[in-house]
Amino acid sequence: LKYFVAVNGREHEVDLVERLGRLEVAVDGKPLDLAYEEVDDLGQVLVLRDGRSFALSIEGDESRAAVTLAGHFHDVRLENERERAAHAAERQAAPGGGIVRSVMPGVVVEVLVRKDEAVLKGQPLLILSAMKMQNEITAPSAGIVAQIHVAPGQAVAAGANLLTLAVG
Amino acid sequence: MFRRILIANRGEIALRVIRTAREMGLECVAVFSEPDARALHTRMAHVAVPLGGRLPAETYLRIDKILDAAKSTGAEAIHPGYGFLSENAEFARAVLDAGIAWIGPPPEAIEAMGDKITSRRAMRKAGVPVVPGILDPVADAAAAKTAAKEVGYPVMLKAAAGGGGKGIRVVRDPAHMDLAFRTASGEAKSAFGDGRLYLERYLDTPRHVEIQVLLDRRGGGVHLGERECSIQRRHQKLLEECPSVVVDAATREKMGATALQAARAVGYENAGTVEFLHSKGEFFFLEMNTRLQVEHPVTEMVVGRDLVRDQIRIAAGEALGFSQKDVAWRGHAIEVRLNAEDPSNGFLPSTGTVRNLRMPGGPGIRLDLGLYRGMEVGVDYDPLLAKVVAWAETRDLAIARMIRALQELNVGGVRTSAPAALSVLEDPRFRKGDFDTHFLETIDLSARRAGEDETVAAAAAIWRHHLARRRALSSSSAERSGWLARSRGETDRSGRGDARA
Repeated sequence: LKYFVAVNGREHEVDLVERLGRLEVAVDGKPLDLAYEEVDDLGQVLVLRDGRSFALSIEGDESRAAVTLAGHFHDVRLENERERAAHAAERQAAPGGGIVRSVMPGVVVEVLVRKDEAVLKGQPLLILSAMKMQNEITAPSAGIVAQIHVAPGQAVAAGANLLTLAVG
Repeated sequence: MFRRILIANRGEIALRVIRTAREMGLECVAVFSEPDARALHTRMAHVAVPLGGRLPAETYLRIDKILDAAKSTGAEAIHPGYGFLSENAEFARAVLDAGIAWIGPPPEAIEAMGDKITSRRAMRKAGVPVVPGILDPVADAAAAKTAAKEVGYPVMLKAAAGGGGKGIRVVRDPAHMDLAFRTASGEAKSAFGDGRLYLERYLDTPRHVEIQVLLDRRGGGVHLGERECSIQRRHQKLLEECPSVVVDAATREKMGATALQAARAVGYENAGTVEFLHSKGEFFFLEMNTRLQVEHPVTEMVVGRDLVRDQIRIAAGEALGFSQKDVAWRGHAIEVRLNAEDPSNGFLPSTGTVRNLRMPGGPGIRLDLGLYRGMEVGVDYDPLLAKVVAWAETRDLAIARMIRALQELNVGGVRTSAPAALSVLEDPRFRKGDFDTHFLETIDLSARRAGEDETVAAAAAIWRHHLARRRALSSSSAERSGWLARSRGETDRSGRGDARA
């Protein structure tokens, strides 16, 4: 079994082979002496690698996991070969620009841009109120506001579409 | 002494107060909103009264509901914690009018210090040094621009009412005044119902140093030294320590005397904190927080006192029972706030259900928390989940101890500020004590360390492998039990039965 694992954006290939009930692991072609044990079903994991102990916590789903090791957080994306091929095809088909999504649930206080307005990277697009703070949502890249999906006063969920930016 | 007190708060601070009250042999009345029905403070109190409703405005901010709860349970005193109604003079007055003791300062002192503008006026009059700025609030961005020209850029816009980092913006250039004014004023209006702002000079290499004071009703008063709170972002503190590396014994004595002078100028009593901006050896009065502070434990660890016990004793009319010469500072304490937020993504709020939880312990570690397994973290309340406090003989040892504690800590289900605190503690500039209130902005928190990549990648892949297999097993067993149920004729036709099975 082959997995493509991106740790904080850095890609690694992990090969898993089940032999006599034991998992053999290789990362980027290099075999590792590694034992893996799940402590509970909440995410506590123990890894022994070359005799060194790593108490990790892993949570998430098949495609994305949050891994904490010695207090530091690692954002991990996971794909198998089939998923990788499918994602690559999707990326090729997607047009330029993109949708700005809400990273948190909140209420839209004010939209600071108009449709067809050209914006610069980092320019505030709208103000979202969450946890009693007003947060400026900024443009991830330069572009033109193609569509505004929300209006002031509207409550949005995490992941909701806010604006669509087209490449200028 | 009282027999029964009500705690008009939630989260870690409600539990913090309950813990001391229980040690004093007092009965505790908790109040709780619907989402807090299973919260720790609800469980650890002797009596718990539902407030009905979900939002703060329907629950912890409702003076009438809280007073009803106090009366119906026979509570003799109310501790407001911090936030919510703690600095609401109207609430304090209503409590006293109902014949219930108020564990806090007199309403007049809250009023005098509550409005940042009137408090600065009062302090200027009392001879306490204040930051250069205007004394009258400005109504709009145009007026702010005119005033800023006088004070000199960069300026800081601050809500006339309030605190907690809400309604604050730094403006370095007149071109940015309009948006800054609009967002700060909007934030202030929604948080405090008052959109007025005032502005002051923004000092360079400033450090936020605050002094803890305690005053009883009989004229007794002491200061318990300083807390260094410069590690903050958008005026939300992340890490605090006691003592501060920039405060020596002589400065401490001077700042302490000034803080007591400020408190006495408004007839203060009970615990309070005077915040100063410390810049290149000078210090200026910022504001006084007329309540217990979030970061009070670092002072408790170093001076060896329980501030909540002192608060309750003072409210019951007792004398302090000690004087300034009895106050000694021993060792060093650091507090890290665990907020539900994502430090690698601009500290945006993080929500979810806490399942996986591994808390630190061992020598010199104190946990003040409201966090529990199964807790749902939403956006309705303050994001503070827990505080980790480390005490040790020296600052270096306290840093090492806190790093060790944060390495032990896991909070799953939501992202927390812990990795950011760890990055601060590991930074050589922080270790040397060379930092100001902008320090946190200078750390690249998205730069994650490599080195453990292979282990992390391998563990994650195996974890997914196990997860996939578990899911396959559990779905086949669900299918099997479904088939069995159907063959026995047990199927609930409404389809609701399956969800519970």
